[in-house]
Amino acid sequence: MKKKKMHDNISGYLFLAPALISFFLFIGLPVGLSAVLSFFKYNLINPAQFVGLDNIRHMFSDKGLLVAFGNTFKFLLILCPIHCGLGLILAFLVYKATRFQFFFRTVIYFPSIVTTASVAIAWGYIFSTDTGVINYFVRLFGGSNIPWLTDRTMVYVTIALFSFWKFIGTTFLYYFIGLQNIPNVYYEAASIDGASTVKTFFHITLPLLSPTIFFVLITNIVSVFQIFDEPYLLTNGGPGSSTKTIAFEIYQTAFQEMNIGYGATISFVLFLIILAITVIQYIGQNKWVVYDYE
Amino acid sequence: MKSRVKIPQMILIIGLLLLCILMLMPFAWIFSTSLRLPKESFRLPPSFFPTSFHFENYIAVFHAFPFAKVIFNSLKIAVTVVIANLFITTMAGYAFARIPFKGRDVVFMIILAGMMIPSQAKLIPTYIVMSKMGLVGTHMSLILPSIISPLNIFFVRQYMLTIPDSYEEAAYIDGAGRFRIYLRIFLPMSKSVIIMTSLLTFLASWNDFLNPLIFLSKYDRMTLPLGLKVLSGAMGTGSVSVILAGVMLSIIIPTVLYVFGQKYILQSVVMSGLKS
Repeated sequence: MKKKKMHDNISGYLFLAPALISFFLFIGLPVGLSAVLSFFKYNLINPAQFVGLDNIRHMFSDKGLLVAFGNTFKFLLILCPIHCGLGLILAFLVYKATRFQFFFRTVIYFPSIVTTASVAIAWGYIFSTDTGVINYFVRLFGGSNIPWLTDRTMVYVTIALFSFWKFIGTTFLYYFIGLQNIPNVYYEAASIDGASTVKTFFHITLPLLSPTIFFVLITNIVSVFQIFDEPYLLTNGGPGSSTKTIAFEIYQTAFQEMNIGYGATISFVLFLIILAITVIQYIGQNKWVVYDYE
Repeated sequence: MKSRVKIPQMILIIGLLLLCILMLMPFAWIFSTSLRLPKESFRLPPSFFPTSFHFENYIAVFHAFPFAKVIFNSLKIAVTVVIANLFITTMAGYAFARIPFKGRDVVFMIILAGMMIPSQAKLIPTYIVMSKMGLVGTHMSLILPSIISPLNIFFVRQYMLTIPDSYEEAAYIDGAGRFRIYLRIFLPMSKSVIIMTSLLTFLASWNDFLNPLIFLSKYDRMTLPLGLKVLSGAMGTGSVSVILAGVMLSIIIPTVLYVFGQKYILQSVVMSGLKS
């Protein structure tokens, strides 16, 4: 018996060895390294130089970084309601449709799986001011050209539109599956009581869907905090620096200005913010979410 | 009563159909414009159905850029990642699901914690690790960090937990060792979860933009999304239809995988619900 236990221990770790080694090299070590790097000045060429808290102090006086944080919060305020709110409404509508459900689901999710960079390039042409498709229709209906990519405020609408089209399918699908998992008896009971669709939605669907809503909300916040592809590909952070995000700032600081130590400091702070959100998730889950169907 | 229910249902379906048409219109525009004469790319009105058929754009994109090489690179990287990831993931998943070794729960929690680490936080240190290994600029710098995926390990473990004990016991009685049981029983029986994780891993690698942007700089080493971005920056607006031909080519593989693998994508959504 003891021999079997010993054997299990050995074979367990043998099976895990490739995973553990790669986990250490490409997940554990990087996270540790990024904490350490925060205290160094480093540009890959010269040896790293210990600077204590200089990087962290610099963060507080870095105007560009402040702008990037502000922009990222703007994206959070705009994109999270779109994905988490509209995604839910859309899922509910498709769930309620008695026909073509499969078609709706397939089409709405489709943009989520295509290559972001490729379609963003195409959308760049679609949004272009003089020759773009959207402004063509705007002019057709009597409007004047909208500066989709060149106006500091308008670019947020542009990115929101693109983001809706590209990623609404992701949150939509989570909600849709969540809706399908709600046992039918609840709806039957409600319809016997003569409750309206709206009433059913707020008193049955929403509470029973709360675990999914919570999950979608947290994963969405975490991903918007890291937003990079959309501003990089559509607006290149511009006009000016009006769509530069935290991730954009990290990319520029570390890989264009080769200020690796300071870049690592910013990315470690980003990591801490996301860690905090995840912790809130764990605490909040037990408080607000209805898990029990009974 | 009955007709009162039907009218909103009709409005709902028509509304959703309109939304779906709107969502497909960019694809229709990309396709039709990719078949226009390059100098007429921007001629208005825009078309959503092909009005001309200049398939030579699809050939031109291969001359404008080492496009074949770039497609090959993307495929090579994604396939290598999928295969390496598959073995690492299933071996780890099997150990977590089936072998009662010491410290299993702690190790599993640590791996799960890895799921919460944002990719942005790993970017810079991974770059340093790669540059110390002399791999920056090579495809290995993209392959290696992708071979480990905590989420995939979680999926495979959950799935393998549901395989009945009896299969294993029968094999034990026949004198099979752990590795043979894993290879001959658990791998074949986990086919659906393996297809699912492989699909997700392939798409993530194929669609990745940020990592190639940071790690690759030579044209003939680039991946498809990065190559297209560079191409669109270099070629100016005179030949948009050629670039759009490239865009079309880049979304063929994800589209085909989606058509045949939709079931597995749904399954992954259902399973990630279990995580919370």
